[in-house]
Amino acid sequence: MNENPANNFEDELRRRLRPVNAPEGFTERLMAALPARQKPVVVPFTPRAARPSSARQFGVPAALAASLMMAVFLGIQWGVHREQLEEQKGLAASQELMQALRVTSQKLDLAYEAVNNPPIAGDEENRS
Amino acid sequence: MNARIGFVIAALILSGPAWAAPKGQLQIPEFAALAEKANESVTVTLDANLLGMAARFLSNADPEQAKAKKLVSSLTGIYVRNYSFDSDYAYPRGDIEGVRRQLNAPGWSRIVGVVSKKENSNVEVFILVDGEKAQGLAIIASEPREFTIVNIVGNIALEQLNDLEGNIGVPDLELETPKKPPPAKPAAQAKPAASGKTPVP
Repeated sequence: MNENPANNFEDELRRRLRPVNAPEGFTERLMAALPARQKPVVVPFTPRAARPSSARQFGVPAALAASLMMAVFLGIQWGVHREQLEEQKGLAASQELMQALRVTSQKLDLAYEAVNNPPIAGDEENRS
Repeated sequence: MNARIGFVIAALILSGPAWAAPKGQLQIPEFAALAEKANESVTVTLDANLLGMAARFLSNADPEQAKAKKLVSSLTGIYVRNYSFDSDYAYPRGDIEGVRRQLNAPGWSRIVGVVSKKENSNVEVFILVDGEKAQGLAIIASEPREFTIVNIVGNIALEQLNDLEGNIGVPDLELETPKKPPPAKPAAQAKPAASGKTPVP
């Protein structure tokens, strides 16, 4: 005989866990004890608009603001550049003007000298 | 409708002088080719816009610039062509004659004309007078190796022109104004005629 206590325990476990047929009417009683099956609630599916990500939510206004700032900055830069160009042009024009007046002055000086200096005898000059 | 179009066309034709060259402005060639041949050249083309711009950059602190600023305030153009060459008559004298011919137009008067046969030089000063004011001034000076054409356009009061004289190195030519008597100055030996052309034989 098997005197080993471990074997006894196994035998005991096997005996206790042996398949046993359910008593008569068990299934009916069990089903009767269960609550009545509820009708499934049908919830209509309405797909909600996908919530924009924060990058999308703030990206467009940020881009617009950046464009606006860029436009303002470029406008200012262009204005400064234009002002500088005008200044250069004006300075060049003022130098040209003074040069023109000097040439005019020299030539009028020549005329003045010729008109006011008495003709030397023998010099063929016509003054009027 | 047709009458309206006709009216607009007539108005445009009548306002023609508005876009024409200002009175007193000469058609001066650019002499672009000459600038390369010339030893020295001065080409100044200042229209009313550029003159206005130039005037803004003239300093009131500098007496010379202050006088120039005052002078140009009523001008509408300054055009100068001045070329010096290494050889005699390297410039097209025909072009200068072309400019001189424009000064035969009514209104222009030669106030100074000096021809030196000895030096082969020629200096002429013309003025376009309209009423009391000069509308233009032209100088044509030619020497064998140099020629200069100056055209100053605008309302130059003769008093203002007198102010220019002797201030920026421009001598006093004793120009007479039509209304005011000439300033009491010692009589010059050859006083330029302020009216009519004086032919140079």
